Amino acid sequence: MISHPSPASRPSRRRVLSLAGLGVLGLALAGCTEEDSLAQQANSGDQKGYIAGDGTVSEYPADQRGEPVQFTGTLFDGTTLSAEALRGSPALLNFWYAGCAPCRVEAPDLRELAERFDGQAAFYGVNLRDERATAEAFERTFEIPYPSFEDKDGGVLMALSAYVPPQAVPTTLVLDAQGRVAARILGIADRSVLETLLEDTVAEAA
Amino acid sequence: MTAGNPSRPSPGVRKAGMSTTASSRESSTARGAGSSSAAGLGKSDVELPALGPLGMARWAWTQLTKMNTALFLLLLLAVAAVPGSIFPQRIQDPAAVQDYIDNNPALGEWLDRVQLFDVFSSAWFSAIYILLFVSLVGCVLPRAAKHWRAWRAEPPRTPRRLERLPEHRSLALGGRDGAGAPAPGDVVADAARLLRRRGYRVAVRDTGSAAPSVAAERGMWKEVGNIVFHLALLGVLVSVAVGSLFGYKGQKILVEGESFANTLINYDSFTPGTNYNPDWLDPFSVRLDRFEAVFNRDTTDPRSYGAPLDFTAEITVQEPGAEPQPETLKVNAPVNVNGVKSFLIGNGYAPVIRVTDGNGDVAFEGPVVTIPSDGVYTSSLVLKVPDARPDQLGFTGLLLPTAVTGPDGMPRSVDPGLANPQLILSSYYGDLGLDSGVPQNVYVLDVEELTELNGMLSQSGPIAIDAANPVHELPEGKGTIEFLDVKRYVGLDIVYDPGRFGAFISFVLAFTGLLMSMFISRRRVWVRAAKGVDEHGRACTVLEYGLLARGEDPRLATEAERLSKLFTEQWGTADPPGDPAAHRSTNRAWSGPNHD
Repeated sequence: MISHPSPASRPSRRRVLSLAGLGVLGLALAGCTEEDSLAQQANSGDQKGYIAGDGTVSEYPADQRGEPVQFTGTLFDGTTLSAEALRGSPALLNFWYAGCAPCRVEAPDLRELAERFDGQAAFYGVNLRDERATAEAFERTFEIPYPSFEDKDGGVLMALSAYVPPQAVPTTLVLDAQGRVAARILGIADRSVLETLLEDTVAEAA
Repeated sequence: MTAGNPSRPSPGVRKAGMSTTASSRESSTARGAGSSSAAGLGKSDVELPALGPLGMARWAWTQLTKMNTALFLLLLLAVAAVPGSIFPQRIQDPAAVQDYIDNNPALGEWLDRVQLFDVFSSAWFSAIYILLFVSLVGCVLPRAAKHWRAWRAEPPRTPRRLERLPEHRSLALGGRDGAGAPAPGDVVADAARLLRRRGYRVAVRDTGSAAPSVAAERGMWKEVGNIVFHLALLGVLVSVAVGSLFGYKGQKILVEGESFANTLINYDSFTPGTNYNPDWLDPFSVRLDRFEAVFNRDTTDPRSYGAPLDFTAEITVQEPGAEPQPETLKVNAPVNVNGVKSFLIGNGYAPVIRVTDGNGDVAFEGPVVTIPSDGVYTSSLVLKVPDARPDQLGFTGLLLPTAVTGPDGMPRSVDPGLANPQLILSSYYGDLGLDSGVPQNVYVLDVEELTELNGMLSQSGPIAIDAANPVHELPEGKGTIEFLDVKRYVGLDIVYDPGRFGAFISFVLAFTGLLMSMFISRRRVWVRAAKGVDEHGRACTVLEYGLLARGEDPRLATEAERLSKLFTEQWGTADPPGDPAAHRSTNRAWSGPNHD
């Protein structure tokens, strides 16, 4: 990248500086930062209009999961659905919108996984920006078999932020049978990783 | 050090060994000789300073903590901030930086290498302010400790010769035969009381002797103000550092009716602080209910006609577990939710467009954010329809809020209001490149891989749609585009700066400290009383006092006069009322014309 001509020297200088800063300021900071993906995106000035994820996977063992999630949302077809309705079997929530390039990359994989786990895990999309027609065009393009929440008002997103916040477009959450967040993927979900996560959660529920 | 190397005995070493029994003068020469022979064998005529690493460090520390070093660093900091206003800065506008680098590839790369696009987080800028920080700490802390000790210690001893002080006066109390003269001890005690009442801290000395005295000092708060000023400067530095470590700044465009949840996923762009953790985002949501722009409609002055007067966004803020709260957002009047401030920084039009693809399906419907480029809101529009089939469609062009066709046949906007909104668009089909997952600028349509359908120069001409003529059929059966409505949008800056409050407090403290150090005068007064004779040779009690100021103090003489008045009144009225002569004689029997 042109904007970062010396990726090797940059973090080290930064680290030296933050160390100096630490010593001088006497601030107890947890770990000196490398140039993370978020800062890199901020500095790139690409105006892509969304925050991308780097595919970070967080998996929460059964005994370290938080409370069962609570939310109520409306699907594009008008059905109102709450988190309670998803209990009993694992569920997947995928945050997306049609114009987001990485969402379009992972869509075929999600479709295949939705078909593979049909009856074992419920799949739902949470559309953050589109109106119904646009969202339906996307679903038509990628033959998405599962419905999506219309979440332009951020209701589902806000409710879920209290548990494990989605921090990139796309974000994929795997909920266990009790409705607790079992895993989170920020950015494009790697097919095999997501498959393993789903298999584990399904096996756990069985 | 003086022990030297035993394998190379020198006269100096031997002398040094003897010096324990020698006189102190001898021993110092011995040490000098020893060190010079140890430091520079064979160069006896050059006296090299043998500082050693510890001495070197101490020397560096002394240099760094000098006041003029601090001033120099402060100046350097100001100079180092200059490139920040010459070159675009990533922290303000990363897109502008990218543009600059694209336009000046060779120079841009070098500027980037020396961090001229990140001035305020660059290594060299940080080095200056960290040095300044250390310099201030190293300067202020010892000063504070010294002042603390000075405050706890008593005022300094009375000088033997008060007439050498910058201000010096004397009064003869009593008179004639000294009968009415107060005793020196009482005079000093009274003087101490008077001085204390004037805000001096006092110490009475030599009580019971022939010449008791009182030492007084005031204005200890001056140095406190000075120290507070410097500490507050440190506070400003720390606050700014805290803000840039733990704060964040993000942008979001909201169309009327849309909501924004303060979660990373919902931002258009986001700049984290150096140590920011996205898990810290305070959850709340903001819905834009209505946006109103008021433009100048005063026809008397054509130059200001149509100029924006006021922007008002009606929003609803929702915090988890709380009732939705209606708020009004204006330019420079941000809405504060738990310290997270939302600023209204931009606005524009978002035409609502429906695109039907070649298969007859609606492939896109919704508002499209446009970027205004001038005062009449001529706005550029880019619309990508990746779900159109059989081919993906792309549109670029302009939104003209009040379109008027000029004499040359070219439509243009003549007013920022929405009198006759019109879309002038070019259309393309082909692979938009979105399916590859590579991020794209949403405001730019890369037409290189696309085939033009409509355009200014194409056969079919541009698409021109407005309220009267809202639908346009694309050529080659690629679909239709429909202009449904125009909504308004706002650009929000969501800023969290935890250092802001600290910086404000620090500024107030710095200013207070500065005022204190400027307007409080630090002065010392010594008063001594002794039995003596007045100008007529009569026995009396001579009250002598001198004043000394710390630094320049043009009001020291005024203070001396005021003390004279106080002392005169004190003992003038204390005289026995039955003796008017004595009363007169206490009045400035000889006041200090002899002060230098």
